[in-house]
Amino acid sequence: MTSVRPKLKPETPKAITGWDTATGQTVWLMADGRWSLQADDLGVFTGEVAEARLAAALAQEGQVTDPYFMEVTASGAIAGRETLRENIRASGPTVPYGETDS
Amino acid sequence: MYRYDEFDAALVRERVAQFRGQVTRRLDGTLLEDEFKPLRLQNGVYLQLHAYMLRVAIPYGQLDPAKIRRLADIAERYDRGYGHFTTRQNIQFNWVSLKDIPDILDTLADVEMHAIQTSGNCIRNVTSDHFAGATADEIMDPRPWCELIRQWSTFHPEFAFLPRKFKIAVTAADHDRAAIRVHDIGLHMRRRGNEIGFEVHVGGGQGRTPIIATQIANFIPESQILDYLEAVMRVYNRFGRRDNKYKARIKILVSEAGPDAFRQLVDAEFAAQGPTETLALPQAEIDRVEAYFRAPYLPARTSASAALALARTADPGLDQWARTNLHPHKQAGYTSLTISLKPVGGLAGDATSAQMRAIADLAEQFGQDDIRVTHTQNIVLPHIAEDDLPALYSRLVEVGLATANEGLITDMIVCPGLDYCNLANARSIPVGQDIQNAFADPAEQEDIGRLHINISGCINACGHHHVGHIGILGVDRKGEEFYQISLGGRADEKAAIGEIAGRALPHEEVPGAIRRLVATYRALRTHPEESFIETLDRIGHDPFKEAIYAAD
Repeated sequence: MTSVRPKLKPETPKAITGWDTATGQTVWLMADGRWSLQADDLGVFTGEVAEARLAAALAQEGQVTDPYFMEVTASGAIAGRETLRENIRASGPTVPYGETDS
Repeated sequence: MYRYDEFDAALVRERVAQFRGQVTRRLDGTLLEDEFKPLRLQNGVYLQLHAYMLRVAIPYGQLDPAKIRRLADIAERYDRGYGHFTTRQNIQFNWVSLKDIPDILDTLADVEMHAIQTSGNCIRNVTSDHFAGATADEIMDPRPWCELIRQWSTFHPEFAFLPRKFKIAVTAADHDRAAIRVHDIGLHMRRRGNEIGFEVHVGGGQGRTPIIATQIANFIPESQILDYLEAVMRVYNRFGRRDNKYKARIKILVSEAGPDAFRQLVDAEFAAQGPTETLALPQAEIDRVEAYFRAPYLPARTSASAALALARTADPGLDQWARTNLHPHKQAGYTSLTISLKPVGGLAGDATSAQMRAIADLAEQFGQDDIRVTHTQNIVLPHIAEDDLPALYSRLVEVGLATANEGLITDMIVCPGLDYCNLANARSIPVGQDIQNAFADPAEQEDIGRLHINISGCINACGHHHVGHIGILGVDRKGEEFYQISLGGRADEKAAIGEIAGRALPHEEVPGAIRRLVATYRALRTHPEESFIETLDRIGHDPFKEAIYAAD
């Protein structure tokens, strides 16, 4: 769990992200309540709706681990001071790895 | 190397079965993450930025062909074809699925490996000199004692819930290659007449409060060392702080109590151990474990290999590699070689499955089945005949493992940083790669000589930045990555914590700053053999600080 999750104001647009419990893959909550492996699919929430969605996500322990709010713009682009971290979570390491390394 | 007896084997299998049940309950939602987290950590499973990460123990960095081949198989079947060797001489897999981890642990158990105590507030993997048992400068092989400490500390009922994690390192060489003075306990083996004993250093560490360990005992005889360690652990377990995670390491206790008061507490605990609770390790048990580490039979050879000399004349690449990546062996005609996992522009400490299998083949064909992981994230083959080096080098070239840079400026310790780690504030790998690219010329690297750059992506200091000759720490400035440079750290027998040079620099300015630092060193050194750290110690930091910020 990251130690630097900023508190977001109720009106700040936010997405909900976490990890698939079985695989550990990063997931984002879509507007329709399902989870996606693609950050491009994320839903944007605010206010009480956001809180309710996070509460519901937190109840899905066997499916999703440690869901939390992530700041986004109204159109769903990753935003705020955790932009770099969340972009890396969404897109993977910024350096080639594995077989490309040799 | 040590082989499991039936108790070891049963213990590890039982632990895998136990964890399999815990994973099943986690996946069906019976166990909540808050309940499961301490259980998974005790089995080496972290949840990182992108996925679960499994840290596998490699006790004192010791591998053999069967073990490294199994690691290669795991990387291929369950991960993305590579593994990451760490500064605790372990290996980490970055992309494993939780549902697969019990199966992975079972396949590890087949080759006498596990992930027990690679995380959590317990005694972690014991580390040691990667040249142990081969180097000419040791008084004895420290690995039997690493193994005895491993057995004593594994599932020790008193020390499963310490105030914080606990790291022990052991060396038996004059030159400390195991960084013992920045460990919770560092043991330096000493000879007194015919007797072997341990100099005990306590309370070293890095992280947000870097401290060099205090020597609290000059000579604890072999038979008493486990009892003495138990006394240290009991004092820590009783008096170590549990109210504040950042003040919970033993270094804070030693520092706050004062070295003398801490020593008195340990001495009192040691003296109070009753006859029924002391281990008083029997010589027969010491002998039994030492037997696993007998030096391999190496046929007598001449001290200078004519075959190697001829091949070096014909191949400048081999010649340079032989100058940089070999370490003197105790037996004439042999050498210990370092396989660098730091190709310029690569990922420090990473090895692909193909590379791991190639290392296994080479150890089998040329190296007495002996493979070591170094805390500097490289691999060592400790027993190689010099006559075999030309053939071995060509094979390393084929698999991209012939980088000639051991101990040089491009041989950096680099933590995974924000590219992988949930705790990181900044990326480490790209900064390391940019510095490597700035010093890509092998001839220039060799002219610069020994220079250790260590990079961490946060204050937890997994990249050992505090003890780098040049340390680089990634920091977050309102969402932007900046890098703080420190000077003068070292992890050897003259261990020192580096001093911060000044304000942090943005990523793009770091390679230039390092270039100016190195240029300053080359201009100020009295002769090419005076190393960076020697010049820095002789002159002081001021001209180097000026060089870092000269572009302002």
